[in-house]
Amino acid sequence: MTSARFDPPADLDRLNKRALTVGAVAAAASAAGLFLDRTQFFQSYLIAWLFWMGIAMGGLGTMMLSHMTGGAWGLMIRRVFEAGTRTLPALVALFLPILFGLDDLFVWARPEAAADPLIQVKAWYLNQPFFALRAAAYFAIWGVFGWALLRLSRRQDETADPGLVRKMQSLAGPGLGIYGLTATFASVDWLMSLDPHWYSSLFGVYFIGGQAVSAIAFAILMVAFLSNREPMQSAYRPQHIHDYGSLLFAFILLWSYFGLSQFLIIWMGNLSEETVWYLHRQQHGWQWVSLALVLFHFAVPFILLLSRRRKRNVKALAKVAILLLVMHWVDLVWQAGPAFSDHFSFHWLDLTTLVAVGGLWLAAFTVALRKRSLLPVGEPYLEEALNA
Amino acid sequence: MSDKRRTDVSTEILAKPPIVGPGHTAGSVTDKISEVVLARTPKWWFPAFGASFLLLNLLLLALAKLLFEGPGIWGLNIPVGWGFAIINFVWWIGIGHAGTLISAILLLLRQPWRTSINRFAEAMTLFAVACAGIFPLIHVGRPWLAYWLLPYPNTMQLWPQFRSPLLWDVFAVSTYATASLLFWYVGLIPDMATLRDRTRKRFKQILYGFLAMGWRGSARHWHNYETAYLLLAGLATPLVISVHTIVSFDFAVGQIPGWHATIFPPYFVAGAIFAGFAMVLTLSVPLRKVFNLEDFITQRHIQNMAKVMLATGLIVAYGYMVEIFMAFYSGNQYEEFMILNRIQGPYRVQWHLLLLCNVLAPQLIWVRKVRRTPWMVWVVAMFVNVGMWLERFVIVVTSLHRDFLPSSWGMFHGTFWDWATFIGTIGLFLSLLFLFLRFLPMISIFEMRTIVPEPDAHLELDGHGGDE
Repeated sequence: MTSARFDPPADLDRLNKRALTVGAVAAAASAAGLFLDRTQFFQSYLIAWLFWMGIAMGGLGTMMLSHMTGGAWGLMIRRVFEAGTRTLPALVALFLPILFGLDDLFVWARPEAAADPLIQVKAWYLNQPFFALRAAAYFAIWGVFGWALLRLSRRQDETADPGLVRKMQSLAGPGLGIYGLTATFASVDWLMSLDPHWYSSLFGVYFIGGQAVSAIAFAILMVAFLSNREPMQSAYRPQHIHDYGSLLFAFILLWSYFGLSQFLIIWMGNLSEETVWYLHRQQHGWQWVSLALVLFHFAVPFILLLSRRRKRNVKALAKVAILLLVMHWVDLVWQAGPAFSDHFSFHWLDLTTLVAVGGLWLAAFTVALRKRSLLPVGEPYLEEALNA
Repeated sequence: MSDKRRTDVSTEILAKPPIVGPGHTAGSVTDKISEVVLARTPKWWFPAFGASFLLLNLLLLALAKLLFEGPGIWGLNIPVGWGFAIINFVWWIGIGHAGTLISAILLLLRQPWRTSINRFAEAMTLFAVACAGIFPLIHVGRPWLAYWLLPYPNTMQLWPQFRSPLLWDVFAVSTYATASLLFWYVGLIPDMATLRDRTRKRFKQILYGFLAMGWRGSARHWHNYETAYLLLAGLATPLVISVHTIVSFDFAVGQIPGWHATIFPPYFVAGAIFAGFAMVLTLSVPLRKVFNLEDFITQRHIQNMAKVMLATGLIVAYGYMVEIFMAFYSGNQYEEFMILNRIQGPYRVQWHLLLLCNVLAPQLIWVRKVRRTPWMVWVVAMFVNVGMWLERFVIVVTSLHRDFLPSSWGMFHGTFWDWATFIGTIGLFLSLLFLFLRFLPMISIFEMRTIVPEPDAHLELDGHGGDE
């Protein structure tokens, strides 16, 4: 009855083509970089891939959270998260190059690791076959939950069966728990083990917190894009936008809380095997990156989002969301970078790989988004959410 | 399927169970809740309060003994210099957190079902904080000098160590106690006025009238009241996080394996909420039965609280898992030994019981039948109460008793006086609780009135009702 009301706008095709073109050009440039500076290519590529993967999979996690809690906010952006979930095959394909650069990226994957007794102790976990096997397991698990939820969602569109709400809810509960678990190990594999001596039990939670920030920030940008044109122009109300602003605020606070806790405990414990990680981030230019994180990933957005008016205005909120997406990328650079180089520096490959993965990913995302209506039309709570 | 039939099915499946039993009006709610306070004391109250009061006296005895003889009467010694006092402190302060979460965070999250449980959950918070506050005071050894913990200019020119989380604890816990008391009392004011107006006894009229601070229920009163209540809720919200974060820092900033873990802050906060909801369930399941309040504390309340307990329990289980994984991943022999010592060492029974109580038992909540049967939820909650005490025991004792040097290893056993103090605080908690149930409305009367469904006279006029 209402399905035609929320058909995707034609502009999505234009966005798709543009993303594909820009992505392809950047990919060609990055490929050239692979031959010019192989190690630099993989280092930049890993960060770029983690950034876009975090947006998509953080979105899967946030979507499962919204299935559990219910409420208009999740319903109004569910299609953004669902489209992100459907990019998983593309993300897996984009992950494959990393497997060819393991010894460029990870100290533990190099032959000289045999001379390091501590890495030898960890070899049961940090070895190439097990690394690839674990990555396959994460993708499989995320894929199963994403696929099952998408299948239920499609059935809901077709039949409008109200019982499906509860089914999605009972799938999302265990799904969220298992996502937290797998993402924790993924964070150890893909980021923490770059510095194979270092460990912190909070790291996984911090990683997931960052993903949540970037996922909701990206969703806000999509809301800003969609609410600029029909049919969604009339669907989004200030009340919905306010919820996204509050959610972004909450996730920023959570991320900051994790970051501060980890820092404070390591600083006060003052054990050399742990403080070394922060010492690398306090010198040779990295200290400015650290300071930028505190200021622009926490303090400035915190103050900006205190304003009720800004939280209710999608254009103003979108600016804060852009700031946070940039800062989330800086956060990943900050976590990975000092393992690659003592001195902070910026390489053109950092930018081209980010644009390349991003363009290709965004193309996959827009294809997925344009396939279905922009709101879950079979949802029994839809009318209620639209009138919120 | 026709549209009409679909709507019927959807209302049937999606309709949420009510948060108030059917047939209640503003008047019947007021009668029912104030009756508990204004009617004659029920017979069972005397033995129940008497037993609690007896335990309270055990506490006084244990404290007197402590003051005469010193902390030597406890099982503390090197290497286990922190024992029951810290375990009990963390256990009690954690229990308090559910009250603040229910009253402040659920209010800000617009969850109307909190209304019938927030009052006694807040009372529980206060009494738990009172019990918790005793332990650091007596643990300092010379409680009459405890004011040295406060930073004040003195002739000795001594200042406390501002970098120590133990000092932050002093500020955090005293702020928490103050804010909780204010929040609870402000919430009580309109109900005090109700009791003042309904009681026939002169003494009670004066007492409740005094406590109602001249409340007349004017529009201006209500306006100021709502503002104050929201502000206090906003102030109390960060306290849910900060207090237990600082408690976790007490351990985590040290260097002992088993204490020094970065996951501690979020995992302690989740553990506190976990323990707190278990205690709210432990109290509310019997209370609704005894006072016939099943219409107000409904099955849905029990179920929602059980779900929060399960969710926070899973975060706690995640904390255990990450700790174990990191111990092996770190390649640090002391970390690894600490975990193996918990699993196989002399305190292995406590560790395995802890997993049974905190990780396995809550999984029963996944089963719909269990979370919809109050007594089953109650049993799970009891497991969690025990489990959270054991968790703190395992963290405090097993980490300390075998540290880096095998020559300094030792064992810790709680003495009679350790147990007497702990059980005595349970007596204090229950005594305060029974007094509260007898003299104050355990459910917020005026807030309940607002969630009673009313026949809406404007239904036809304002265009929201009717078929579209």
